[in-house]
Amino acid sequence: MKIFRRHQFESEMETELGFHIQAYIEDLVRSGMDPAEAQRRARVEFGAVEATKDECRQAWGLQRLDDLRADLRYTFRALRQNPLFSSIAILSLAIGIGANTAIFGLVDAVMLRLLPVRDPGRLVFIQNVGSQGANGGPPYPCFELFRDMAHSFEEMAAFSRSNMEIGINGDREQVRGVYVSGNFYSMLAIKPLMGRALSAADDQTVGKGGPDGPVAVISRAFWRQRFGGNPAVLGTTIRLFDSTATIVGIMPSEVMSLEPGRPIDIAVPMMLSDPASLRDRGAWWLDVVARLKPGIQAERARAESDALFQGFMTKLTISPDIRRIAFDHIELAPAGAGMDSLRKTFSKPLTALLILAGLVLLAACVTVANLMLARATARQKEFAVRLAIGAGRGRLIRQTLTEALVLVGVGATLGTILALRGESALAAYFAEGNNQIILDLSMSGRVLLYTLAVSILTGVAFGLLPALRAARVDPAAGMQASSRSLSGSRSSLRLGRALVALQVGLSMVLLAGAGLFIHSLRQLESVDLGFTRQGILTMDVAPERALFGSQQWLTLQTEILNHIRRMPGVRSAAWSTMTPLNGRDRGEVLDVPGFSPRIETDRHVHLVAASPEYVTTLGIPLLLGRTFTERDGANAPKVAMINETTARFYFGDANPIGRKMVFATIQGTPTYEVVGVVKDSKHQSLRGKPWRFLFIPIQQAPDRINRLTLSVRCSNDAMASAAPAVKQILGTRSGLLITNISTIERQVQFSLMKERLVSTLSTAFGALALILACIGLYGVLAYGVTRRTGEIGIRMALGATRGEMVGMVLKEAIRLAAIGIVLGIPPVLALGRVSSALLYGVGAFDVPAFTIAVAVLLTFAVFAGIAPAFRAGRLDPASALRCG
Amino acid sequence: MKELNPPVELVQGTLDMLILKAVSLGNLHGYGVLLRIQQLTGGQLQIQQGSLYPALYRLERQGLIASEWGESENKRKAKFYSLTAIGRKRLKAETESWSRFSALVAGILGALPEKP
Repeated sequence: MKIFRRHQFESEMETELGFHIQAYIEDLVRSGMDPAEAQRRARVEFGAVEATKDECRQAWGLQRLDDLRADLRYTFRALRQNPLFSSIAILSLAIGIGANTAIFGLVDAVMLRLLPVRDPGRLVFIQNVGSQGANGGPPYPCFELFRDMAHSFEEMAAFSRSNMEIGINGDREQVRGVYVSGNFYSMLAIKPLMGRALSAADDQTVGKGGPDGPVAVISRAFWRQRFGGNPAVLGTTIRLFDSTATIVGIMPSEVMSLEPGRPIDIAVPMMLSDPASLRDRGAWWLDVVARLKPGIQAERARAESDALFQGFMTKLTISPDIRRIAFDHIELAPAGAGMDSLRKTFSKPLTALLILAGLVLLAACVTVANLMLARATARQKEFAVRLAIGAGRGRLIRQTLTEALVLVGVGATLGTILALRGESALAAYFAEGNNQIILDLSMSGRVLLYTLAVSILTGVAFGLLPALRAARVDPAAGMQASSRSLSGSRSSLRLGRALVALQVGLSMVLLAGAGLFIHSLRQLESVDLGFTRQGILTMDVAPERALFGSQQWLTLQTEILNHIRRMPGVRSAAWSTMTPLNGRDRGEVLDVPGFSPRIETDRHVHLVAASPEYVTTLGIPLLLGRTFTERDGANAPKVAMINETTARFYFGDANPIGRKMVFATIQGTPTYEVVGVVKDSKHQSLRGKPWRFLFIPIQQAPDRINRLTLSVRCSNDAMASAAPAVKQILGTRSGLLITNISTIERQVQFSLMKERLVSTLSTAFGALALILACIGLYGVLAYGVTRRTGEIGIRMALGATRGEMVGMVLKEAIRLAAIGIVLGIPPVLALGRVSSALLYGVGAFDVPAFTIAVAVLLTFAVFAGIAPAFRAGRLDPASALRCG
Repeated sequence: MKELNPPVELVQGTLDMLILKAVSLGNLHGYGVLLRIQQLTGGQLQIQQGSLYPALYRLERQGLIASEWGESENKRKAKFYSLTAIGRKRLKAETESWSRFSALVAGILGALPEKP
């Protein structure tokens, strides 16, 4: 019999005992006894039926369950009777637990989760490492060497992310692709959702693939978004750059590649990538993943591949400096959770957020503990009665703990629902912008377990204190006491005050922390970018492939610019190989006559090829000399502009105008003459030192430039209409591929995503803690006034004014807030120090953030004190004295 | 008091053993267990009838006996108890330890003073 089939248990027990008594009666009657006497006798000899039943229930193990049931029933009744108490408590807990669940969900998705691949523990990345850290995998020929010669690995695969141009039914588009060696998916045991995965057979012949010809697989997300989830897409042929590929399978989106969070649309075999790159012994474009043989130590595998690598490197011509910096030796990194760029980016912000969420939960615990204490005080009499009529103290403790756990249970359920909502908002936030991050924030078992653990801990944390106090009630004193002078109420008021001060302290930490992050974000937002933020539209444009590297494309560029410049509201427009913060970069090696490099990297600059109006369009100030003009054409003398940092680095204080710069590694070593110097501008992020930049005219670029970014500077009111208008102009030229339509302003914003995330969430947490502290303050002040009614009456009777009484309560409010603020100072400092890596332009102790937090707390403390203060002021001395 | 020997009080903890013994002789309902024990003891053992049931429930909970609903001699619905395999083992062990214990006690109580 199952213990929850309670009704059956009861009725069967009834039947069984009834049968016994009845059978005995019959036997007695049969032996000649009078029936009435027999009944009496049977009942006497059987004993108390109800007591027997109770013992049976106990013997069956139902006693505890019954107690629990009673406790629960009692708790729910009590909570219903006190809707204000219950809703504040539950809401506080829901917020605290919800915040923690949501943030931990983020931590889980970003930091903790392994990829759904076979035996992730033995997967390693094989990486080149130099003095400046890890640097991807080796060139393709070296990968082949590893794959064929290294015995420590069961299997090895290479992959490389790359934007790809595809054509579907004549439409050209750019997709996010990855080249993978044919065995990539089988080695990781990633199964296709439909069709088949790529196989080693598909990756045999350069440019051709395998027996099925060139094939590709697409991600589920891309399948749904681009093909509407139509299964007929399997077997269709799409254009892939200048060739074609047949779609043979649909793969799970999150394991298209091994870079968590980065969406990939399509995967094609390695052999379909650029043949020159595959041959090039000095091209560093791969990532390599391998599976260690069982029982092989990682160090042995590392040593083996490093030996092969060193042998490979001796036959490669490479500057010793570069070799030392980037390609010194081989190291293995765990690959079970994929590449760690996402983890590296978010580990610090997430740690900070987890700490802040923990503080919010602590504040919620303190709030509820305080509420429960107040209730326990109010229920002292009830507890005294229960103790007096024989309830055990253990029973009372259990009752109070049950109440706490019920509150936590309801709070946790509500919190989980809140967290789910929050997570979808967070996922949407991460998926914004050009560099989308796709997070799977569905509740994993680990997150739910975390929530459960946090909830139980929470329940015990705030339930234990009131529970122990409940058990300390002295029945005699508790029953004698009048409702107003309860024993122990002085100490419980003191405890209440301490808890409120703690709450204020927690709010102080959260508010000052939020202030710190907001201030830091403001500093970043107002940092001198070196270019104009507003009014610049950008988009990437590529010509049709027939025009690649042709004079026609150059002509078309000029033509388009002329057309766009005539548009209403357009001030200027320009082409360039990259724009600030769009994530692109290109390096070049220079020889600068008159400058002797100390190490190889001294010769490196970042190169931008741009049309004449580029610096004007971006609003980058010209400091010296001139910008490019239409006259700086393909056949004119080659000219360049440099930024301040480049000028200072190569020429010191000397005038750079007229100096020469030579591209050292490009055929014919073309030489450019510096004609202008522009101001430094941010490029990769808003933080950090400016880089050395060199600008040259597109017409004079040493190599063909096909994909370009078009920047259009508009008046503010034309911004909204400009994008479609420009697109329309581009649309009239056949075959242009337009991608990443955006604005500089949006790109600046997206580059601050991390900072915005932290400042927004910490502000929300600060506000929540503030509200909780106000509730606590109000509660303890109101209770204080009630308790001191008599005292206030006496004071007023002795001549104290109402104003003085109001002041007394407000002073108490401020005193409590001040204690809390002082308590909060050391953790505020610690928080500042811990999160210093996240901060920009503010110190760990930021005076404005600190001052504002203090001002806000004191203001709200006064607000919380107003109602109790006026109640104290309105007391009628005569009746107050009678009450006291 | 018509009997010569006064009724014997049940030694603490022996009721379980008696129930196991009674049930081992054939399936019985609760009242049957009582009758069987009285029969085995010649009516010399004082058992509060009601106290039988908590003991039965406890033994069933421990898996020493099993229960099944059936029909009594006078065609009424009754719950019958039977000994399980574990119960049988337990009864054997208890019986052995009881006889050792009682032999020991009897030996001590029956000891004669040593001759000097």
